[in-house]
Amino acid sequence: MGRYVAKRLLSLIPVLFGVSLIIFFLVRMIPGTALEMYMGTQVEATPEQMEELTRLFGEDKPVFILYTEWLGDIVQGDFGCSLRTGRPVLPDIMARLPLSMELTFFSLFLALVIGVPLGIASSLHQNTFGDFLSRVTGLLGLSLPQFWLAALMVMAFSGFRGWIPMGNYVSLFEDPVRNLKMLFLPSLSIGIGFAAVVMRYTRNSMLEVLQQDYIRTAKAKGLKQRSVIYTHALKNAILPVITVTGFNVGYLLGGAIVVEEVFALPGMGRLSLYAIYQRDYPIIQAIVMIIATIFVVVNLITDIIYALADPRIRLDDTAR
Amino acid sequence: MRKSCKLFIAISILMLLGPGLFAGGASEVETVSADAEKILTIGVDQEAIGLDPHIVTAFSSHRRIDLLYNRLVRLDENLSVVPDLAESWDIPDNLTYIFHLRKGVKFHNGREMVAEDVKYSLERVLDDKTASPGRSYIALVSSIDVMDSYTVKLTLSAPLASLLNALTSNNLSIVPREAVEANTNLQKVAVGTGPFMLEEWIPDNSMTLVKNPDYFEADSPKVDKLIFRVIPESASLLSGVKSGDLDMATINDGATIRQANGISQVRVQSKPGINVRTFGFNTTRAPFDNPLVREALALAVDRDEIIALAEFGMGSPTGPIPVSAKKWALPLTELPFSAPDYNRAKALLTEAGYPDGFTFNIVCSSTYEGGLDVAQVIQNELKNIGVTAELEVVEWGVYIDRWVKRDFDSMVEIRGGSGEPDRFLYRTLHSSGGVNNFMFKDAETDRLLDLGRSQTVPEERKATYDELQKVLAEAAPVIFLYSPNENHVIGPRVTGFKQVGNGSLYYIAETSVK
Repeated sequence: MGRYVAKRLLSLIPVLFGVSLIIFFLVRMIPGTALEMYMGTQVEATPEQMEELTRLFGEDKPVFILYTEWLGDIVQGDFGCSLRTGRPVLPDIMARLPLSMELTFFSLFLALVIGVPLGIASSLHQNTFGDFLSRVTGLLGLSLPQFWLAALMVMAFSGFRGWIPMGNYVSLFEDPVRNLKMLFLPSLSIGIGFAAVVMRYTRNSMLEVLQQDYIRTAKAKGLKQRSVIYTHALKNAILPVITVTGFNVGYLLGGAIVVEEVFALPGMGRLSLYAIYQRDYPIIQAIVMIIATIFVVVNLITDIIYALADPRIRLDDTAR
Repeated sequence: MRKSCKLFIAISILMLLGPGLFAGGASEVETVSADAEKILTIGVDQEAIGLDPHIVTAFSSHRRIDLLYNRLVRLDENLSVVPDLAESWDIPDNLTYIFHLRKGVKFHNGREMVAEDVKYSLERVLDDKTASPGRSYIALVSSIDVMDSYTVKLTLSAPLASLLNALTSNNLSIVPREAVEANTNLQKVAVGTGPFMLEEWIPDNSMTLVKNPDYFEADSPKVDKLIFRVIPESASLLSGVKSGDLDMATINDGATIRQANGISQVRVQSKPGINVRTFGFNTTRAPFDNPLVREALALAVDRDEIIALAEFGMGSPTGPIPVSAKKWALPLTELPFSAPDYNRAKALLTEAGYPDGFTFNIVCSSTYEGGLDVAQVIQNELKNIGVTAELEVVEWGVYIDRWVKRDFDSMVEIRGGSGEPDRFLYRTLHSSGGVNNFMFKDAETDRLLDLGRSQTVPEERKATYDELQKVLAEAAPVIFLYSPNENHVIGPRVTGFKQVGNGSLYYIAETSVK
């Protein structure tokens, strides 16, 4: 297992190199430069001023040179400074990352605790009214855009003081109750769509497993219904749910980015949106690199959990 | 697996209890200290991008600088120039301005502000290395001389009748040299003379300002602490004022303001702002190189309809000078080509050689500034004269790029206006103007703009700008549509807030909370 993890972590290097190449040149292909955004449409400047600004914004060098300089810096852990605020990029991102991660995992948690039990119940009562209802609700949850749901919640709950964070965000460590209360609605608006996905996967997977021979055997030898479902069926049925969950953490993080904007949460989402609007290249690049890393690590964790849940899967060749 | 099953059930139970658990906490979380400190919380939609008054271009940064720094002179709520750090001034001739400074004004670091600071600040702005957007405002200042500690003389290389108005710009705030030298620039610190001092800044979350106990205006500011909270969504801003989390908020979005009008706990304070929504042409591209075509389009545009549909009625129709600059703006009824007349528009098109109309593009963006809503209404209105407008809706960054490269047939914009016609129109429409991206070149317009900036007798200037407004309405390189209202949504605790009209929050210093 240790060797496997090490191997997977080593594979991060080519992945991140590829990502760095793509993001660096891609952001520069978007029309509009950081300097143009800075100047906007209202500011006049002399040619001398423009020359100075071009130098300050690092637009006086060929893009390939800029790339090698940037790559050299990040290898040393220096992600550079924001073009707009002049602040170092990394501390600004790290200050916001915990909120986005918390939001992602809270919404993942909500999705699982809603989706899995509903999926099980739905599969056990197949084609009943309850099954039908949860499937339709699931479809609805799947179809509602997160930002729309978030906006709706803001309107519906704005009368309840403290339920919608109004810029006065507190971290989990400062005040856990207040923090969780503030993150509940945002997490719900992100998680509800994924809960529908989880519900559908659990239901289909359970239906498939419940028709297998060993389940019939288990029932035949007189095991209780509970034991058949939770010990025998769910154990196998949950595997595809784990896979789909691992894949989706990245998307939930993306959802967090949009929903943070609606609920005015100071997470990475707002930072990246702002950076994209302003063409603040160092911030965009650093965020993409960090998200790519998270993606790879989460996938690795998924694989490990998968192996733990299913003894038939061996991650490490040497363990055989 | 049995163990994980139990865990799963435990989690499920926790989840069921979850919302109730959180709800239970609601009452004990918010503890409001009734007496002691008076705190005003204001919601804004954008975070400040740096605080150096000489460097910033972002509107959001200016709104903090309003309260942290002072200028030589400032604008009051009627957009008139009134004393700020300069108590009074003499203008012996149209090239010389002598300012007499207030005595005993202190920077936030405790040192007294003197004439040397004025000289240092303005010279820093004029230095190309500072790359200050304020440089163009005082580019005609050739020397700044300290006459004594409280008197400073500005000498111009050419007459600039709008100089006093220019000096009200936040980009020309007075800063102490030692603070600049200690921090390279003032982007992250604030050492001004303003009514508030920077206490804490958590980017993208909040900025806390505290009362400056030494502020030179007696009884000001009236609150002890001012908290800016950044909330990008206008609906969330309104929710904040409604729930009492915010005392007031600056909101642009017309739909949200209309919603706010129906809520009893809040009131909406509005007045026509100084910005101008424009529909401008690339006058070097056919068919817009033909004035007849531009006139025809001007006659097809219905300002009232645009305001009603795109701004929910929250704006005032305007000509070349923003309607809020009452001293200068001529009513639209006195300007040619400023009321809809489809028959005449069609006749003009026929005369120009387009009897069956033509097709062109309008570059716009879905941000408020990018004016997509306005472009849609215009598109519809132009059908009345057989002209087909194709909307090119681009992302905000692309929009700016197209603007910089002058790559458009026409563009819907919002222009930062001014209560002083020279400051707005010279740069916008003089053939040498820095933001004349209509590439408009007209000898008569240039002559009037040059004349207006050299005149010092108010009646003579007024006559010049009256004529200019008519010339511009007729040449129509750009159609000035309306000035959007400046809107603040205000909660029940707040009294005494006044709007300037240029977005400034200066009067927060005179605002109190119950």
